[in-house]
Amino acid sequence: MTHHAEPAEQIDLEPLRAVLASRFRPRDSQEAYELIVGACQEAQRLYGWVPPEATQVIADHLGVTVNRIYGLLTFYADFRTEPPGRHFLWLCHGAACYVMGSSRLIELLRERYGLEDHGVSPDQELTLHVFNGCLGVCDLAPVIQVDHHTYWGRLTPDRLTAAIDALKRGDQVEETDGQAG
Amino acid sequence: MARLADRQDFDRYAAAVHERWERLWAGDRWVISVGISGCSIGKGALETYRHLELMLAQEGVPATLRQVGCAGWCFAEPFVEVRAPGAPPVVYRNVTTDRVPELVHALKRGEVKAEWALGVRAEESFGGIHPLSQHPFLARQRRLLFADAGVIDPESIDDYIARGGYRAFLKALFEMTPEEVVAELKASNLRGRGGAGFPAGIKWESGRRTQAWPKYVVVNSHEGEPNVFKDRRLLETNPHLVLEGLLIGCYALETPHGYNYIGGEHALAVQRFQEAVRQAYELGLLGDNILGTRFRCHVRVRTGGGAYICGEGSALMYAIMGQRGQPRTKPPRSVEEGLWKRPTVLNNTETFASVPVILRHGGAWYASLGTEQSTGTKLVTIQGPVKRVGVAEIEMGMTLRELIFEVFGGMREGYQFKGVQTGGVSAGPLREDQLDVPIDFDSMTPLGGMLGSGGFVVFDESVCAVDFARYLTAFNRYESCSKCNPCRLGNPALVEILDRIRNGYGRLQDLDLIREASKYIIELSLCGLGQVAPMPLLGMMKAFPEEFDAHIREKRCPANVCPISEAALLAPIGDD
Repeated sequence: MTHHAEPAEQIDLEPLRAVLASRFRPRDSQEAYELIVGACQEAQRLYGWVPPEATQVIADHLGVTVNRIYGLLTFYADFRTEPPGRHFLWLCHGAACYVMGSSRLIELLRERYGLEDHGVSPDQELTLHVFNGCLGVCDLAPVIQVDHHTYWGRLTPDRLTAAIDALKRGDQVEETDGQAG
Repeated sequence: MARLADRQDFDRYAAAVHERWERLWAGDRWVISVGISGCSIGKGALETYRHLELMLAQEGVPATLRQVGCAGWCFAEPFVEVRAPGAPPVVYRNVTTDRVPELVHALKRGEVKAEWALGVRAEESFGGIHPLSQHPFLARQRRLLFADAGVIDPESIDDYIARGGYRAFLKALFEMTPEEVVAELKASNLRGRGGAGFPAGIKWESGRRTQAWPKYVVVNSHEGEPNVFKDRRLLETNPHLVLEGLLIGCYALETPHGYNYIGGEHALAVQRFQEAVRQAYELGLLGDNILGTRFRCHVRVRTGGGAYICGEGSALMYAIMGQRGQPRTKPPRSVEEGLWKRPTVLNNTETFASVPVILRHGGAWYASLGTEQSTGTKLVTIQGPVKRVGVAEIEMGMTLRELIFEVFGGMREGYQFKGVQTGGVSAGPLREDQLDVPIDFDSMTPLGGMLGSGGFVVFDESVCAVDFARYLTAFNRYESCSKCNPCRLGNPALVEILDRIRNGYGRLQDLDLIREASKYIIELSLCGLGQVAPMPLLGMMKAFPEEFDAHIREKRCPANVCPISEAALLAPIGDD
């Protein structure tokens, strides 16, 4: 993972405080512990990663230690403790996608875009998470979920290159192939 | 909406929503349903829905547009079901936005568009469209859990109740003692659907016998394997069915504490189950004094952070408790000491969803389905280059060959069947000549396969057995929780050996080295997942020995996948 020396932008913690106040109200310490992961997921939804400031807010709100939170953040693969690039690629590396060629896509992302799993590309444009489980859209395998809503399906290295270049230019990426089967 | 006060109140409510349901399907408005689920969204179902909304308004078609869940036919997504007044409902496949205008225009003209139809929901053909039940994907299925999949709106408790939902829970609550519920479950011989196949009735009974308080009932919806997606589809398409099973579980254990632990990456499943819980609270099916009785039940939803190990029982409980999800040694079993060190009954999503079905029809009836040792139906998923990718619900005992080549349609054009990986990352593959094995909990094991949670991965000749074995082993290496050494150090060692073979530097004794290392991992790992981590690799070696041999002796990858280097070709075959 790359280390960012430049000071991060000021993070607005109010939205996180609001979510915590409305939906994370533990009645006892047991429930407070149960809610840590969920609170971190909310933070990541809001900021794209879990910044240290957010961790402190969650710790204060739930009455747990920051250490405990980092113990979880570093254990679970979904969390990021570094800021992501502008676009988020969630590459499915489930068995269906493997069989249909996701390894070639991972190789391409590494060689052409300098992207490693959980890493940010040198131009700060792309973040890659290789998902070891299954995204459950196996009919589109191999598939990448982009920025949490779009899917690029039935990818080949060529199609992926074209799609990423279009994404970086801000163009519409050609729709996935839905006429399969 | 007011809380329902008692049983009569529920009956009145159920009668009212049932009548509304019947009116919907008998009315003179068009009823148009779009399947919205994780996989259909990936293929553009939301756009189809919005486009339909716009088109129907523009064309002035008096229609009720509704969302339904997934019906298991991923290959046909996004699907749209159209019921024109006076006609039976027709399901259309692959209705992407470019097809919407043509479809609406044709339907308005009174044409049925038979070439885009998947089938008609009727006993007989309609306008040249065959009944859905005769479609090869559905003809061999036996749908109990998926009976209403694609029919009801998963975000509507009214739809669920209109189709007979929560009747099983009421039957338990008003007509049965908790002991009788457990007895019914034992009679059904339902075995845990998560993979281990432990009889659920016996687990519930030992949960009842423990004396500590409080007790917990937990649904395991984590589903972190790389090859299965049935539980999230079930939660996306019929969350109330799982919730009803959990309610019955809490009643049987006489505890008010129910949990559902869902993998955080299954966003829609989480959202729909949470909505189901909210609706059940609103209607008074959750909370205190449910339907005027002394029974109370509260359900909490917890989400995972993307760690495969959290599907293991004890790890899952630590994860709920806000710790790192790492397993612990057993005994004590979690049924004695689980969540917060209290007795905890944990079952898979599919197991809980089967419970209402069993109470509705009786344990003996359920036991008559499937095979003697593996009763009932099983949700199975298929991945890889087959014609009809999807989720199917079949009766136990169907052969793997029938499943792959009839239900799922066999291989796509241009792909040659090579093998099928079974049991997720916990077992090995089966070859073509082994496909006549029945699908149940026990038959595949002697062949090196396993039913597991019901995920099958078909692969073709372009996949190299050594590389696939490396992929599966690398999954286990990545997902090892690092608590115990055999798994933490053993799996990387296996990957290292496999990489050597893949690169053309394999040594003759490497296969023995793999077997020896595997033996230690299997015998010494702490949890069930570690103990089976080398199984896919050993299975691959057993099923495709000639490929491992070709890599080592001939420095050749028959599938032309592995990065055998030029330098390796020149080097002699090592033997030490």
